[in-house]
Amino acid sequence: MSKPIPLAKLGDEEFIDPANQACQGCAGSIVARIVSKVLRDRWVRQEVACCGPALSNIWAPSVYAEIFEGAGAMMTGKSRAYKAMGRDDVIVAGIIGDGGTVDIGFQGLSAAAERNENFLWIVYDNEAYMNTGGQRSSATTAHASTTTTPIGALSRGKREPRKNVPLMVAMHGVPYVATASVAFPEDLIGKLEYAKDVKGFRFIHISSPCPTGWRFDPRYTIKVARGMVQSGLWPLYEVIDGETIRLTYKPRELRPVREVLKMQGRFRHITDDEVDEIQRRVTAFWERLIAKDGGPLF
Amino acid sequence: MSHWEVMVGNKAVAYAAKLARVQYIPAFPITPQTTIVQYLADMIANGDLDAEYVTVEGELTAQASALGASMAGVRAFTATSGPGLLYMHHPMHAVSGARLPIVMAVIHRSVKGMQPDHMDMMAQRDTSWLMMECENSQELLDTGVMAFKIAEDERVRLPAIFSGDGYILSYTAEPVEIPGQEEVDAFLPPYRSQVPMLPELAKECREYAIAQWGVGEDPQLRWRRQQEAMDAAKTVISEVNEEFEERFGRGYGNGLVEEYGCEGAEAVIVAMGTIASTARTAIDNLHGRGKKVGLVKLKTFKPFPAEEFRRIGGEVGAIGVIDRNISCGSGGIVFGEVRSSLYEMNGRPRTLEFYAGLCGKEVRVSDIERIAEKTMRAASGERVTPLVEWV
Repeated sequence: MSKPIPLAKLGDEEFIDPANQACQGCAGSIVARIVSKVLRDRWVRQEVACCGPALSNIWAPSVYAEIFEGAGAMMTGKSRAYKAMGRDDVIVAGIIGDGGTVDIGFQGLSAAAERNENFLWIVYDNEAYMNTGGQRSSATTAHASTTTTPIGALSRGKREPRKNVPLMVAMHGVPYVATASVAFPEDLIGKLEYAKDVKGFRFIHISSPCPTGWRFDPRYTIKVARGMVQSGLWPLYEVIDGETIRLTYKPRELRPVREVLKMQGRFRHITDDEVDEIQRRVTAFWERLIAKDGGPLF
Repeated sequence: MSHWEVMVGNKAVAYAAKLARVQYIPAFPITPQTTIVQYLADMIANGDLDAEYVTVEGELTAQASALGASMAGVRAFTATSGPGLLYMHHPMHAVSGARLPIVMAVIHRSVKGMQPDHMDMMAQRDTSWLMMECENSQELLDTGVMAFKIAEDERVRLPAIFSGDGYILSYTAEPVEIPGQEEVDAFLPPYRSQVPMLPELAKECREYAIAQWGVGEDPQLRWRRQQEAMDAAKTVISEVNEEFEERFGRGYGNGLVEEYGCEGAEAVIVAMGTIASTARTAIDNLHGRGKKVGLVKLKTFKPFPAEEFRRIGGEVGAIGVIDRNISCGSGGIVFGEVRSSLYEMNGRPRTLEFYAGLCGKEVRVSDIERIAEKTMRAASGERVTPLVEWV
């Protein structure tokens, strides 16, 4: 079980250069910095097609290979190689986008989880294919306008609710699954610190708002991320061994999703009915989570 | 110490991987390759081979995880057939692009049925992998061991396929001499990665990544370097083949082509893989009838031994190429390569094309005798038609 750790506890030492090619206000950059500070000089990084290659300021070794769907496969190969080399001290971790996790990379994700491969899969989830210009993924929230689910006379944005991948991974019975958010760094650091020394398959899914794709002012990245969590759009929890689920953030009451959706240009078109639909879904899921909190996952 | 065993081709492939002391094996079944990874599973289960063995969920992961393992710093091996090889296509480009010397056995299976032809491998011909074809189980074992040494040579650093026809080799038993482990160890040193991907080598890895991606350089250099490595591989293949012959008493021509009965030949036929075995009998029969025709076995398809064909082309009046493959809309792929090799020659020989053995269609000794006789007639100056023929 993880315990929140304040950023200051990680010390002043950085394992990342000050600049990269990511957009202003990129939550992925925050993920990269926090992950680097936790894993320090002990890890090698996996990257696949996503905004991840823009995070070129990370010091950990990585050689980009153009295999979008290959995160699970390549991390399998690496972690097995370190075992063969007697270098179990090397942490294999990927900073992988939502597309490379929930869509094109899903087969490799599920297979690696089923084999309980020894690596840490970190998702920075910006809810679309942001590196190619904001096309919908199966992690996109319903009704969002994306470049492949535009708003028009015959279209109301993305029709389907997002796919719940962390719970699916948890159902593989892997040692550790957690959700996290860049707006809750203590929680995120605690989860990373816990996960880094666990043997076997570990999965941390981080909500990472994207000012470019979600269409909000870059200065509000944390504000939006916080709203996602406070409204229940992105609940924070962890699942140990696929058995026990524990909420790591429990507001007395959820903020209305409307407030959070309205901060984002991608929901500018949204109607009251559509907001209500999202609210109903979020509330129902939250109630089920609260009922499960601290107990068996199913 | 070497020993003899009667074994099927797939077992010979497994022995090659074992003798090469591979450290990472991603395994996924596909007929007719499947028993290779089963034999390896047994070897590992019995403690005869110390390797990380991963039963992956598909060929794409087999190839991509081999990439990860090779990049991390170990010797990686996998095997596949037919559609499985097609499924690996896109990571194969990434493997050669990262200059990782992964070795893969391909047991040919047509992509239009279960029986063998060479289209599975030919569909990968532009992936910058070395490709070495075998005609019997012994050659599979020997080529497998050589493939690691060739691929890992500093002048090459490209991945390699060694291949054989499914069913005809994969499930057919014949006596095979298995070299002793200590002899193979003396021939093939332990794997050395250019830059193992390790946290303490972060700086070196970054330089390696920048070099692989040609950052700040002519973007075409990434292809050019692979082409230069392919050219260099011709020398390396011949050297390795020669050393293998010295150590183990078996060589395969000059490693690129193997000539059979070509002395004084007026015409030659070209064949790859098991068709070459059938062709040897046909050539023997024709020699018995006083016909001056030889066989050129194309042992290495990539890099293509154009120089060898120019030399042979200067000695004969016609070359008949048997293709167990076709690039529809163009023609036989080996035929195209052979004819292209000859183009700049003065007094180049005539070339004839024969499609044979596609989708596992049986190729008989009598078929090859007829092919050779037709090629001889063309060599003598006779007008033969058609120049392209389905056998």
